[in-house]
Amino acid sequence: MIRYSLFLLGTWWFFAPATCCAQQKASPEQFTFFEKNIRPVLVEHCYRCHSSGAAKGGKVKGGLQLDTREGIRTGGDSGPAVVPGNPAKSRLLAALRHETVMMPPSGKLPDSVVADFAAWIERGAPDPRDGKPLTQTEKIDWQKARDFWAFQPPKVHAPPQVRNAMWPRKDIDRFILAELEKRGLEPVRAATNREWIRRATFDLIGLPPTPEEIEAFEKDKTPEAHAKVIDRLLASPHYGERWGRYWLDLARYTDDLGGTVGPVLAPTAFRYRDWVIQAFNRDMPYDQFVRLQLAGDLIPEPAKEYAERLGGLGFQGLGQRFSGNAVGMVKKKVADELDDRVDTVTRALLGLTVSCARCHDHKFDPIPTVDYYSLATAYNGAKLSEEIALGSPTANKARDDWQKQVAALSQKIKSAAKTATTPDAKAALESLQTELARLNQSVPPAVVKGPAVSGGGQAMRVNVRGNPDQLGDVAPAGFLQILKSKGALAELKFTRLELADAIVDRHNPLTARVYVNRVWHYHFGRGIVGTTSNFGQLGDRPTHPELLDTLAVRFMDNGWSTKWLHREIMLSAVYGLSSVPDAKNLAKDADNHYLWRMTPRRLDFEAWRDSMLVVAGKLDPRIGGPPYLDPKGKVQLHPENPENRRRTIYGFISRFKPNPTLTLFDFPEPNVTSDQRTATTIPQQQLFALNSPFVLAMSRSFAARLEASEKSEERRLLLGWQLAFGRVPTEREVAIAREFLREAASVDEKLRPWERLCHSLLTTNEFAFVP
Amino acid sequence: MSFFENSYFLSRRELLAQTSYGVGMIGLASVLAGRSEASTPLAARPPHFPARAKRIIHLWMNGGPSQVDTFDPKPALHRFAGQRPASTTGLTTERRTGGLMPSPFRFTRHGQSGLEISELFPFVAQHADDLCVIRSMHTNTPVHEASNWLMFTGNVQPIRPSYGSWLLYGLGTENENLPGFIVMGEGQPVNGPSNWSSRFLPGIYQGCQVTLPVDYRPQDVLANLHNASLSPAAQRRQLDFTQRLNDLHRDRVGAENAFGARMDSLELAYRMQTSAAEAFDIRGEPASILDLYGLTGPNAGASANTNGGFRRATFARNCLLARRLAERGVRVIQIYCGNLQPWDTHSNNAQGQQTLAQVVDQPIAGLLTDLKRRGLLEDTLVVWGGEFGRTPATEGSNGRDHNHWGFSMWLAGGGVKSGLAYGATDEFGFRAVEKRVHVHDLHATMLHLMGIDHERLTFRYSGRDHRLTDVHGTVIRDLIA
Repeated sequence: MIRYSLFLLGTWWFFAPATCCAQQKASPEQFTFFEKNIRPVLVEHCYRCHSSGAAKGGKVKGGLQLDTREGIRTGGDSGPAVVPGNPAKSRLLAALRHETVMMPPSGKLPDSVVADFAAWIERGAPDPRDGKPLTQTEKIDWQKARDFWAFQPPKVHAPPQVRNAMWPRKDIDRFILAELEKRGLEPVRAATNREWIRRATFDLIGLPPTPEEIEAFEKDKTPEAHAKVIDRLLASPHYGERWGRYWLDLARYTDDLGGTVGPVLAPTAFRYRDWVIQAFNRDMPYDQFVRLQLAGDLIPEPAKEYAERLGGLGFQGLGQRFSGNAVGMVKKKVADELDDRVDTVTRALLGLTVSCARCHDHKFDPIPTVDYYSLATAYNGAKLSEEIALGSPTANKARDDWQKQVAALSQKIKSAAKTATTPDAKAALESLQTELARLNQSVPPAVVKGPAVSGGGQAMRVNVRGNPDQLGDVAPAGFLQILKSKGALAELKFTRLELADAIVDRHNPLTARVYVNRVWHYHFGRGIVGTTSNFGQLGDRPTHPELLDTLAVRFMDNGWSTKWLHREIMLSAVYGLSSVPDAKNLAKDADNHYLWRMTPRRLDFEAWRDSMLVVAGKLDPRIGGPPYLDPKGKVQLHPENPENRRRTIYGFISRFKPNPTLTLFDFPEPNVTSDQRTATTIPQQQLFALNSPFVLAMSRSFAARLEASEKSEERRLLLGWQLAFGRVPTEREVAIAREFLREAASVDEKLRPWERLCHSLLTTNEFAFVP
Repeated sequence: MSFFENSYFLSRRELLAQTSYGVGMIGLASVLAGRSEASTPLAARPPHFPARAKRIIHLWMNGGPSQVDTFDPKPALHRFAGQRPASTTGLTTERRTGGLMPSPFRFTRHGQSGLEISELFPFVAQHADDLCVIRSMHTNTPVHEASNWLMFTGNVQPIRPSYGSWLLYGLGTENENLPGFIVMGEGQPVNGPSNWSSRFLPGIYQGCQVTLPVDYRPQDVLANLHNASLSPAAQRRQLDFTQRLNDLHRDRVGAENAFGARMDSLELAYRMQTSAAEAFDIRGEPASILDLYGLTGPNAGASANTNGGFRRATFARNCLLARRLAERGVRVIQIYCGNLQPWDTHSNNAQGQQTLAQVVDQPIAGLLTDLKRRGLLEDTLVVWGGEFGRTPATEGSNGRDHNHWGFSMWLAGGGVKSGLAYGATDEFGFRAVEKRVHVHDLHATMLHLMGIDHERLTFRYSGRDHRLTDVHGTVIRDLIA
C-alpha cells in the first residue's frame, strides 16, 4: 500500500503557543534553595515523564510539565501542580506524600526531600526557570482541511477517451481502461461463460451455480444473457444472506453480548440479522437502510410496517456491553460503550476513525476532540442494549391487554373454584370459564421483540484525555464540523435521527463514496480505496477517483439502490475479465490495483462451507430464524456440526466464546466493526478439511448423490466435476480419478472409494477459489 | 487489504516477496508461483534485538494468591493484628475489610540468596536462587474480570489482543506443527477465551485452549487432529490424489501464490497429525519425571475445591506438557489452575491458600527443575502470579479480599536476575510503595526479554497504531540479568 510521508501530513495545523504568565520577584537566596534542593530532585525523578522533552517525544504523562515555572504552576490535566504559598493546594506535594497519586512511581522520596518541597512552596515557590511548556493549542485550518479529496463533494465525470474503443462495455470500463493504457497495462482475456457465471453466482448469493443454470446460460445467445443471470440472482432470497453477512461484519453482529462467567445471551439478536437479510433482498434504499438502523424509532413516518421500522435498531443495540458494577469502573463502562457506538457509526458509515479523537485531537484528520463528544451526544444517555417490541403499539397493547385479562380471569376462576359449592356459585364459575375459553379463541399475535437502543441526545461534556472522571466543557451537540455543509447553524439538539440525516445527506461527501467502494471491494477483492473503512489521511488514496465519484453520485441518483449498483458493476467488461496471470502486467502491477484481470479470491468460510452443503445435496434453504438446531433452542447452530445443514450465516455467533472453527477461518472479531476479511492459510484449517466430521459427512452425501444419479463411472465423474467445479473433467483428470478409484477399491477403509474421491474434490484448491 | 500492511518489520511488499501465503485477496503479489516451505504467517520471525527468552510459560494462579502468606513476609502484621493503622485506611478494595490479619505461615530464608518464602511453598523454595520475586506489583482495580483482562491483554475491557497473540504476531512460532500459543487448565477460568483472544489481530494468533481430561487420548488434543475413517496410508494416498488435482488446476489456470500456500498447508496439516499427538503424549515419560512433577508420590491425589476446583493430576500434567511444548518451540504457554478462580479465598484464607499451594507447589518446582536440567530455563521465561493479590486485612472473620494496591509475582529463567526480591509493599503488605511495577511495566519487560520493543510492536487498526502497552509501560531493567 502507498505510504505517505508523515511530513506531508498535518500541514493544516498551526501552532499557537499558550499565553505567558507574569514574572515574580524573588531573592537570589531563594533561588539558591531551589537550585540546591528542588531542581535536582525534579530532574532526577520527574523530568523523564513530566517535561517539555517528554512532551516532544510524545511521552509526557498527564499533560504535566515540571521543567518550567509556567509549567509547574499551570500543572497538568488535574490542575496546578504548585500553588505558590499554598502547600495544601499544591498537587505536586500531595503526590510526593502519596496522598493522592503516588509519585515518583519508583517509590516514595525520603521525608526530608518532601519537607523541602513543602517549605519551598510555603515560601512562594520561587522559581528562576523561564520558558514555556510545550502545550500547543492546535488549530485546524478548515479551509485547507476541506481540500482533502475525501471531503470534496463527489461529482459526475465524463468517461475518459481510450485508445481501444472496442473493449469498454460500460462507462466504468472507460475509466478503468484509461488508467491501464496510461500505465502500459493490458487487460487479459475475458472470462469464459462458465467462469463468469460461477463468479457471478458466488458473488451474489455465495453458492455455486447448478449444472442446469450453467447450461441455460451457455445456450442463451441473446445480448441480455448476462443481465438475466444477474437479475435472477438478485431476485434469489439467498442474495440477502450473502450481502447481509457482509453488513453483519460491519455491524459486529453477535448472539450474545460477551460475559464473564458465562455468556450474556441476546436471544432476539437474530431478528436484526434477519432484518438485514430482508433489507438487502428488498433492495431497501441505502439512505433509508442507514436511517432505520440509527433512528427507526424516531422517524415520524406513518405507523405501518413497525417491524421494518424498528428491526434495524439492533445495529447499535447489539454493540458492546461491558460489565460495570466494579469499583471505579462504572463511568468507564458507560464511556467505553458509547465509544463502541461512535466507532462503529463513523468507521462503517463514514469511513472515518473518529474514535481516535476520544482522548486527543485526531492526529491526522480534521477531527478535534470536541467533535467526538458533539457526535457522541446522539447516543449519550441512551439505553444502549435494549430489547423492544417490534410490533405496532396497537398490536402490542392488544396482546398485553389480552394477557392481563387471561391472568385476571384465571385468578378469579381459581378462587371461585374453591368456593363453588352452591348452584349459583357453580353457574358463576361456569360463566367465567366460558369467558376464558372465548378469550383463548382469539389470541392476538405474540409480541415480537428485537434488540435496539432507545433515547440518547443528552448534552455531553468533553472527557479530558478520554478520562470520564475528568470532565471539561460541554460539547456543542452536532455533527462533525468537517462534514457540515457550509453555513449550517449549531444544532440545538442532536438526536440519533439528526445524526442519521446528517450521514445520508446528499451533501455529505463520504457516505455514498464509502458504500459504493465497499460494494466494489466485495466484487473485486479490493476497493477503489483500499482501506474501506478509512478514507482519512492515513487511508489509501483512490486508484480511480473519478470513477468512484461518478459511481457515488449516480448511486444516489438511482435511489441509493444496491441492486442497481451490482448491475452497473457486473455488466462491465472489467468485471468479466478472466483471472489468468500475465507476466508483463504482473511486473508492473503485481497487486492488480488497476484491474488488468480479476484477482483470484479464496471463498470465505461461509461460502466454502455452504457450497459443500449444496454439492452434497444437503442444504437446508430456509431463510432466517433463531440460531438453534432444535425448536426448543437448546442446541446452538455451529458450523462444524454435521447435523447443521443451515447456511453458515445462521450459526450462533458468540462474543463470550467465539466458535473455534469460525476463528480458525478468519471470521471477523465480532466485538468491533470489521470491513475486510483477512485470508490466512494455516495447517489447522486443513485439518478441518482433511478430518472434520462435517467435511467427511458432506463427502459421503456427495458420493451418495453421484451413485444414486448415475450408473457408469464416467457419468458419475462428469456429474461430480460439474457439481463441484462447474465444468467437465479433462481426460487426464478422468484417468487419474479412475486410477485412484481402482486402487481405493483394493483396500478396506471406512470411507468407500467414491466417498474418498468426493472428499478429495471438496478439499481441492479449485473448490476453494472463485475463478 | 489489511493484513500485513501493519507489519512492523517489513513493508507489505517485502513480506509478500518473501512469503507465499494468501493476503486478503489471493495473489496480491503473484510474482512467485509454486510451493515453498516457511511460508506462513506463523513462521518464526527475528526479534527487534537479541532475545533473552524465546518462549513464555505463564503459571496463572487465577483468583489471586495472598502475598503476605507466600512471597512477601510482613512481621509487622503480628504487632498490629486486629488493628487498622492510619496508613492502611482509604485503600478501597472490592469488599469491606477489617483489621490486619497476620499470616499463620512461617517465612524462612532459602538458598544462597536468602530469599524469604513461606512454608506454603517448600518445593518452590528450593528454587529460591532461580526466582526473581516482584513484591511491588500493582494493578488498576480489585475486580477479577478487569484485572484478568489487564494482566493478559493490557486493558481492563475485553477489547485488545492478548499478550500471547501479540508475541505470536511479532515473532511467529518455532514449530508450525503445533499451535504457537497454547492455554491449558481444568474447566474454564473467569472471562474464558477473552483472556487469550487475538481481537483485532488475525484470528490465527488466538490462543488455542487445550483442556484435557485425565484419561485423554493424544490424538484428540486438537480439533480434527485424527481421521477416524481412514488409515494413515490411505489418507496419504488420498492426499496425493488431491495434490495431483491441485497441480493440474494450477497448470490450467496459472500459478498463484495462494494455491501453493494452501497445498503446502495441506502437507503441514498431514504432518501435524502425528507431531501434535506425539507432543501431547506423556506415556513415554519415565517414572522419575512423573515423580518430579508430583504426578506420582504422596500428594499425587491432591485437589483443591475453592471457588471451582482443580486437581494435582491435571495441573501437574499440564506443567509437564508445558515443558514438552517448550521443548518443541511453542511460543507462549499459559496454565491456569482450575475452573473460575480457585485462589479467591474470601473466607478461610489460610486453609484455602494452604490447600491450593499444596496442589501446585511440587508441579511448579518440578517444571523449574526439569527446564533447568534440560538447559531450557535459560531461554524460557516462567511467570507466576494471579491477576492481583489479597488484602493483609481480614474480610469477615478469616478471609482476605482482593488487593490491587500491591501484590507479588515471580519470574524465573529467560534472562531475569535470580535470587532477587524486587520492590516492596508498605510494612503491612497492602500497597506497593517501593519500585512499583504496574502490569504495563511487566508486559513491557516481558516483551523486552523476548527481544521486542513494546513501543515498536504495533498493529494499525481503526486508524491508529495499537500496542500491548497502549501509551504506558516501562521496561524494568533492574529485573534483567
